[in-house]
Amino acid sequence: MSRDVNLEKKLRRRALILGLSKSFLSLLIFGKLFYLQILQKSKYGKLSDINRLKVKILYPERGTIFDFYDQPIASNKTDYQLSIFKDKKNLINKYILKLNGHIEFSKKDLQDIKVNLSEQDLSDFIIIKKSLTWNELEFLEFMKNKFPFLIITKERVRNYKNDLIFSHVLGYVGYKREIEKKKLSNLKYGISGIEKKLDSKLLGSDGWIKFETNSKGEIKKEIKKKNAIPGGNIKTFLIGEIQEKAYEEMKGISGAVVMIDCINGGVNCLVSSPSFNNNEFSDGVSVEKWNSLLDDKFNPLLNRCVAGLYSPGSTYKLIAALHAIENLNYNKNRKFFCSGHVKLGKRKFHCWKKEGHGEVNLFEAIKKSCDCYFYNLAKELKVDDLAEFSKIFSLGKSTGIDIPNELNGLMPDSLWKIKNRGEKWQKGETFNTVIGQGFMLSTPLQISVMTARIATGKKILPSVVYKNRKFEDLQINKNNLNFIKKSMYSVVNEINGTAFSSKLSGIQKMAGKTGTSQVRKISLEERERKDGVIKNEDLVYKLRDHSIFTCYAPFDKPKFAMTVVAEHMGSGSKVAAPIAKRVMQLALKKYL
Amino acid sequence: MSELIIKFKNLNWFFIFLVGFLSFVGLVMIYSATFGEESNILISHVYKIIFGFSLMILFGLVEIEFWKKNAYIFYFIGLVLLIIASFYGYLGKGARRWINFYGINFQPSEIMKIFLIVSLAKFFDEKKMHEPRDYLFLFVPLTLVVIPFILILIQPDLGTAMLILFVSVVIFFISGITFKFFGILGLLSLIITPYLWGGLKEYQKQRILTLFDPENDPLGSGYHIIQSQIAVGSGGTFGKGWTKGTQSHLDFLPEKHTDFIFSMLGEEFGFFGTISVVGLICLITYMAYYITGRFVHDNFNRIVGYGVITNFFFASFINMSMVIGILPIVGLPLPLVSYGGSSMLTYFIGFGIILSLDRKIKFN
Repeated sequence: MSRDVNLEKKLRRRALILGLSKSFLSLLIFGKLFYLQILQKSKYGKLSDINRLKVKILYPERGTIFDFYDQPIASNKTDYQLSIFKDKKNLINKYILKLNGHIEFSKKDLQDIKVNLSEQDLSDFIIIKKSLTWNELEFLEFMKNKFPFLIITKERVRNYKNDLIFSHVLGYVGYKREIEKKKLSNLKYGISGIEKKLDSKLLGSDGWIKFETNSKGEIKKEIKKKNAIPGGNIKTFLIGEIQEKAYEEMKGISGAVVMIDCINGGVNCLVSSPSFNNNEFSDGVSVEKWNSLLDDKFNPLLNRCVAGLYSPGSTYKLIAALHAIENLNYNKNRKFFCSGHVKLGKRKFHCWKKEGHGEVNLFEAIKKSCDCYFYNLAKELKVDDLAEFSKIFSLGKSTGIDIPNELNGLMPDSLWKIKNRGEKWQKGETFNTVIGQGFMLSTPLQISVMTARIATGKKILPSVVYKNRKFEDLQINKNNLNFIKKSMYSVVNEINGTAFSSKLSGIQKMAGKTGTSQVRKISLEERERKDGVIKNEDLVYKLRDHSIFTCYAPFDKPKFAMTVVAEHMGSGSKVAAPIAKRVMQLALKKYL
Repeated sequence: MSELIIKFKNLNWFFIFLVGFLSFVGLVMIYSATFGEESNILISHVYKIIFGFSLMILFGLVEIEFWKKNAYIFYFIGLVLLIIASFYGYLGKGARRWINFYGINFQPSEIMKIFLIVSLAKFFDEKKMHEPRDYLFLFVPLTLVVIPFILILIQPDLGTAMLILFVSVVIFFISGITFKFFGILGLLSLIITPYLWGGLKEYQKQRILTLFDPENDPLGSGYHIIQSQIAVGSGGTFGKGWTKGTQSHLDFLPEKHTDFIFSMLGEEFGFFGTISVVGLICLITYMAYYITGRFVHDNFNRIVGYGVITNFFFASFINMSMVIGILPIVGLPLPLVSYGGSSMLTYFIGFGIILSLDRKIKFN
């Protein structure tokens, strides 16, 4: 019996142990729940939000750039892009393999993915492929279930009306990779041209959208959104048709065409040739392509209009002559005999015309572009005064145009010579300067501004972006200006003028000045050899003279001032003037 | 007839209310789990609750002697069904656990737990262990346990197999088997375990291994544990609100209407909700304990009572522990709350037995 009592006690004890252990297990659960739900609430709350909430950055649509007649020359196109959830980036390689054959990933695409992966960005998505084709979109739509965590987004990206024609003036857009820890890895900034200069206006500001997604990578709903604000539009003075015509005319020629409106200073045309494809650049150009452009001996990346430096050649004679009559009381009827050269000490200075022009006055010297006359003129003037006067016409200093990377050119004077060459100014150097050779360098834009200021007597300032402006007077005697203008008229319209062959056919008259920019020094031996100076055509391309022509029209009421530079194309009358004539004719016919 | 009415009146209605409340919680959670989806799960669940509830009342009215008398027969039937299920059954989710019975999928391993409990109780009731040589007879109950255990393990259904083992150990313990015997048994299983481990499927091994380092492989087996803990933790004190759980409704939480229903409860009703359910389970367990504890002299009733309630409590404990990261994910539903017919019916039958025991005490 006692045994039964003992057993009973034992069984009761065991039931108690069982009950106690269950209580202990319950406490264990209680403890863990307390830990998870009370102590670690914020941690797990955050984790659950990270799971479901995905932020996508909304990129602003870049402002449109219009030409003077409100035709868009830089607008935007729709681009479908494929992105993957950032927290699923380990799927990228697998997906690329699986998508292969249906969606092509170029070397550049793979490179871009690498860059995107390394970048810290606020977005919860990583772009893995841009510019999806319709076939690719269709395939992805059809195979959606096989590729969770991929999303297709519709973006608006830069698109230029024309691949090549506006590239230098408008520039292009691209990423700024150098900015550390930037928030917006897919935002393109203006890299050159108008795009760079007016970037802040064109850019707009970004927004974001917060999605709720499920575990299968499907977007369930939109939680919150801040819209992107599109960039502002910009109107320019450029005239699409003139720009296109000028580009057409420059095909196969390295050089520049700049046209300025003489009334408002607007740049109607700014063509640099050869050009590059700014659409291709904006999409992101490959390293190979970039290197090949850098190595291109014709240097297509250089904007010759504002950064190409040329001796202005005989076009500068206009300023030398104006300086003489305006400031030195020079008698414009004074005559000199041109025998083909002028002696200064032991040195001989040659006229471009070997047999000489005979007896010429200042007017004829400009018309025929006689170098000897100007050598004689040079004997009477000081280079420092000439340099000072030239600055009024924006030579040797930048015009302040609203596109980046404009160069100052070079207007040499005695101080410059000492500073840069450590030598005193030589009289012979003044001889070279008055005919626009020697040290002097200017850009096609500067020559255009010079012409526009001669044509109007006003301080014309060039601007690509549309602005309403009035210009101050240059304070130069009207009679003197008229003398120069008339001589320019004779260059084009009189039979002995150097650009007579480029005379306009209609009622409107054009005034201009040819120039030949020497690239090499002609040696004494060469001049004295039997055949004379080597003909331009016989020289190596790189050593041939540049052909320059600057002009304005109509003569009686100046509207368009234009400069054409055709590199290594010989004398100004041969190549530059006919191009200018054709472009000017179009401008006068349709846009006067 | 009037005898039946008296029996009916004598049922422990408070206990029935508690059980009913727990299944109501299940209904509420199943509603949320299927919210916004086209599915007949909710309706099916309602039918199962009604059917299970009726079964509980029915077995509450059946005398406990019915079980004692037929224990071994039931065990035999259960074993046959189990063999059919394990070898010829319907294959689903990589396991062979179901028998298709006139269009209804039925899981014999669940009901086998009840049959095993009553069989063990019958054995220990009849065999009193007094002499050391009596322990040789323990070969019989050990066999009763090991056969279904192995059959269920190879299905594979790790959760139910472990549960059967736990419940059996508790029955041995409650029957007064000496610690010496447990020592020998423990030693024996230590020797057998490596062989058992070798016999486990790779995914089962993986499930157990991830318990120790769930963060290591966030997209593999550990993913579910992490997501489940995030769901529970993010619920905070009062939860995100009914049907408002983001982890559950955006499918970060797997199997939200079955194994992980407690996580969804934690997410939508917070600490307040989880603690209430834990409390309810403890209260049901305590009441069943109280009832069972009064059978001092009747070994069968005592063992059946403790067995049934241990089955319920351990199943609840294992389910809740696995979804909050105390135990590995073994795949076991939360009694009366999770969706799933066979398991729910088994627990209802179990509570019917408790009701029957309670009635017997009142009658005495």
